[in-house]
Amino acid sequence: MKRLGMFALAAVMTVGSLAGCRGADSTQDKGSSGAKSDVGITKEPCPKSEHKDRGCIYLGIISDLTVGPFHVLAVPITDAQKAFWKRVNAQGGIGGYDVDAETYVRDNKYNPQTHNEAYQEMKGKVLALAQSLGSPTTAAILPDMKANNIIAAPAAWTSAYAFEDNILESGANYCIESMNAVDYAKEKFAPKTVMAVHLAGDYGDDAAAGAKIAAEKLGMTFINVKTDSGTDKQAGAVTAIVTQKPDLVILTTGPADAAAIVGGAAQRGFTGKFIGTSPSWNQGLLATAAAPALKALYLQSSPWKSWASDTPGHKAMREALPGVTPNDGYTSGWVWSYPMLAALKKAQADGDLTRAGLLKAAKSLAKVDYEGMLPDGAGNYAGGADGIFRQSLIYNPTVGAGGPNEIKLEKDYFTGSVAKDYKLDKPCYEKL
Amino acid sequence: MRNRPLLRTSYNQELALLDTTSKKVAAGILLAVGAALPWLVEDQLLQLLGLACVTAIGAIGLNIVTGYAGQVSLGHAFFLAIGAYTAAAIAGDPDARTIGFGVQEILIWLPAAGLVAAVAGVLVAPLATRLRGLYLAIVTLGLVFIGGHVINEWSSLTGGPGIGRQPPAPTLLGYDLNTGDAFLTRDQKLYLLMLVLLVLAALAARNLARSRVGRAFTAIRDRDIAAGVMGVNLARYKTIAFGVSSFYAGCAGALLYVGVGYFDPTTFNLLLSVQYIAMVLIGGAGTVSGAILGAFLITLLPRLIREVPSFLPFISNSPAESPNAYQLETVLYGVLIIVFLIFEPRGLFGIWIRLRNYWKAWPFSY
Amino acid sequence: MKDFLESVLRGIGTGSVYALLGLGFVIIYKATRVISFAQPAFMLAGAVLVTYLVGPLGFFLALAAAAVLTGGIALGVERLAVRPMIGRPVFTVAIITLGIDIAVRVVVNGAIGLDVRQVGDPWGLKVWKLPGGVQVEQRHVAMVLTTAVLIALLFLFFRYTRTGLAMRAASYDQEAALAQGVSVGSVFALSWALAGALAAVAGTFAAVGGSVSESLWLIALTALPVIILGGLDSLPGAVIGGLAVGTVQELTATYQGSVPWLGGNISVVTPYVVMFLVLLVRPYGLFGTREVERV
Repeated sequence: MKRLGMFALAAVMTVGSLAGCRGADSTQDKGSSGAKSDVGITKEPCPKSEHKDRGCIYLGIISDLTVGPFHVLAVPITDAQKAFWKRVNAQGGIGGYDVDAETYVRDNKYNPQTHNEAYQEMKGKVLALAQSLGSPTTAAILPDMKANNIIAAPAAWTSAYAFEDNILESGANYCIESMNAVDYAKEKFAPKTVMAVHLAGDYGDDAAAGAKIAAEKLGMTFINVKTDSGTDKQAGAVTAIVTQKPDLVILTTGPADAAAIVGGAAQRGFTGKFIGTSPSWNQGLLATAAAPALKALYLQSSPWKSWASDTPGHKAMREALPGVTPNDGYTSGWVWSYPMLAALKKAQADGDLTRAGLLKAAKSLAKVDYEGMLPDGAGNYAGGADGIFRQSLIYNPTVGAGGPNEIKLEKDYFTGSVAKDYKLDKPCYEKL
Repeated sequence: MRNRPLLRTSYNQELALLDTTSKKVAAGILLAVGAALPWLVEDQLLQLLGLACVTAIGAIGLNIVTGYAGQVSLGHAFFLAIGAYTAAAIAGDPDARTIGFGVQEILIWLPAAGLVAAVAGVLVAPLATRLRGLYLAIVTLGLVFIGGHVINEWSSLTGGPGIGRQPPAPTLLGYDLNTGDAFLTRDQKLYLLMLVLLVLAALAARNLARSRVGRAFTAIRDRDIAAGVMGVNLARYKTIAFGVSSFYAGCAGALLYVGVGYFDPTTFNLLLSVQYIAMVLIGGAGTVSGAILGAFLITLLPRLIREVPSFLPFISNSPAESPNAYQLETVLYGVLIIVFLIFEPRGLFGIWIRLRNYWKAWPFSY
Repeated sequence: MKDFLESVLRGIGTGSVYALLGLGFVIIYKATRVISFAQPAFMLAGAVLVTYLVGPLGFFLALAAAAVLTGGIALGVERLAVRPMIGRPVFTVAIITLGIDIAVRVVVNGAIGLDVRQVGDPWGLKVWKLPGGVQVEQRHVAMVLTTAVLIALLFLFFRYTRTGLAMRAASYDQEAALAQGVSVGSVFALSWALAGALAAVAGTFAAVGGSVSESLWLIALTALPVIILGGLDSLPGAVIGGLAVGTVQELTATYQGSVPWLGGNISVVTPYVVMFLVLLVRPYGLFGTREVERV
């Protein structure tokens, strides 16, 4: 009977932890600074805060932290964001509040269902989401976010977010980034055929669509090759590259896949150029067998400057994250946090830290101070889809440049001829 | 008769849907509690419970082919996918980028989803009549992989991996179930819908199990050759088992993502199939109530596990460190399944039997 | 023709990795009548162990050490989670092995961390040129040779040692073997350990020339159609099935461009298609034992 007792105990615990009773929503109250507030803000200090005289603004993070396909990026992004908000608190917080991005951090396993469950759990307790990772996952909560005026910083560069008021995207999206990459290649290598080798989905399809639009505009032939994630699944892509011999390959995969493709194609005699979009690279690739091929053929496009760059924002980030292995996941997490900070500050200045107030503040932002990590003009949410940021950079990540972890910048922030005139009227991936 | 519950005076009593008074009482109470829940618990929990009801429909379906007829199928995710996309296509917005015909009436798209999946099940059944045991399991697993390839590629239907599409938005005879109104919120409506459907599905399955067909299934499970010798048409009944099971799966698939409002083709993978098998095994194979219990447990388990790290303050919640709370969650999920099956191989239903026997003889139980 | 030959050579290379994985599955199946879904996790664990050990030990010693360690892990898992289930329905055990897979894989993912890890093999992407301009990758030759050596060792082990004989006896009839003094328990343990070690070697070779990432475990799922194709209880079947599937996969990868309507990367699902076709003709695989049917 001992075993039955255990089950009874488990059952009681189950009921206890799940029993959330229907109750009234939390009431509006005035915070210590006098700004209006509703959900996700308390007068009590944050659980881990040293500033006992301040209230607390709770931000949620839903990310891919263990077994999903993007956990390698998601973990540093999440870490950087935690460090970002700690720094904000150390610098005085926001109008008498500290920001807590630690209490409500949940793993979505890159599954819309799980993402939604985590969101529903934290919905009543957070003001906004400091991070919502993934497109299908974010799509699963977007209608509810809109209904409740909740805003979120994304962890993706898909062009679909240009059309969402509730999403505070940063930097050039994949589509613009690969348009610029093709533009750069035209100047540098004058390619006649462009091939996009990409994973499916908003990430790969978006970049491939950008490459297609640019190639057609610039009079090049475009070839579209879809591949899957997994180093063992690149044989088809390699064969396509080797047999069709494009002059330029726009690569949108994970780092290990990129190495398999570039290495495999070079070994079978391919000599064209590769330009990878941002998440395709990891510095660890230089230790793989594909390193010589990468050194000879590979360039990297990027929506913002890499880890070791010399701007106030980068410096602050490096100081806030001592002892970590440099990884541009950190840079991304840090950059993505600035618009949220700007929105919070604006809402606080307007005296309205309610969700509706925060959304209104976010929508009215015409520029965001990225502390130099992105150039002026970035973060124009008031401009809608026309206000998207159109500059990106090209790196050669295989070549060092002076300082530790610094990589060679091939071309600083630029807007290519195609991206400059391109009117984004619907998400790019719908045009592939 | 009241005091002699096991005394039967006719076959009809033996075959009744709820054959004892206590079963009738228990079922009544459960139903009453289930129906009262929308006014007792929060919407977010209702959404989860609604999902559990739908999952239970799918688990009952798998239980028909695996629990009753003994044909282990790892292809359940494939049939769920067929149902989900059939329903989404029928009810989808005609102007969206994915295929949609704009028929939002649930009385149309739900049966249609079930029927299309059932046809797929019948088409697959010839394999099952040739193969047994692990061979069948892995071949049905092949269905998941090949089907997965098709839905990943067919992006005009599915939206494509990483993008996905919306599930059907249900309306019942013109009454919109997908938005809240003055009387009920969206989650309350959907939960009630799912609950009613679960009750219907469970009754139908129990009814099937006590019929001639159900007895044929059991005979096939226990020894198919013996069943064949006794005149059970193996091919025919295996086909029926796959067809009915796939019908359930199709209906469940159609409803599975209604609560969430979004789904992605990569969801229909091996793991999903495995979860359903785990539900059937953990609940107790070959019983409808077991399948329902298993489905509720597996659906609610991640939610429960997410609460665990808050009781263990020494576990880091920084995802960059190892071990951390998120790894613990996922490991626990695996470990709990192992532990459960090792210590309770007859599943939740087995626990229930032991409990019942204990209290039957109380206070003289030992 | 050059393309064709190169594809076949590559296919035999990757196919030998499938063969190793398939052998692991078959050895466990023969001993315990269970398909162990934990093999993918062991394979990943083996490859990750090599990435940690290759620094101090060098590739070959690291490979041997990782194989032994992974075998040890598999042994422990068998003792803890699978042994209590003797006599239970095979599917319950199969689901338990899936639970193991989930748990082990999370731990291994944690060990992989955020960077791309290397197994540090001596071959990389180097090639040999054969007459006629045909290239053959050195890593593929290494894979084939390693697999051949391991298969030879296994053959000798099963054929000529007492333990091997005991394992064969137990796989025919556990009770009869038990009656003859064979310790069936240690046969179970040994078969799990052997399969774990084979998975480690396979995982390492799957990462040779590339890198270790958590998606590596998906390769092990390709071994499932391999064993069904060859017959669940046939060791030669696993080898032949592995080579066949590898070759078909590489050939499809080479020529899939000419059938674009099948979708990108159809080669990934070809093993399953081949499996379906074979099973329609031979329900117990190419070399599987036909079950004796009696009431």
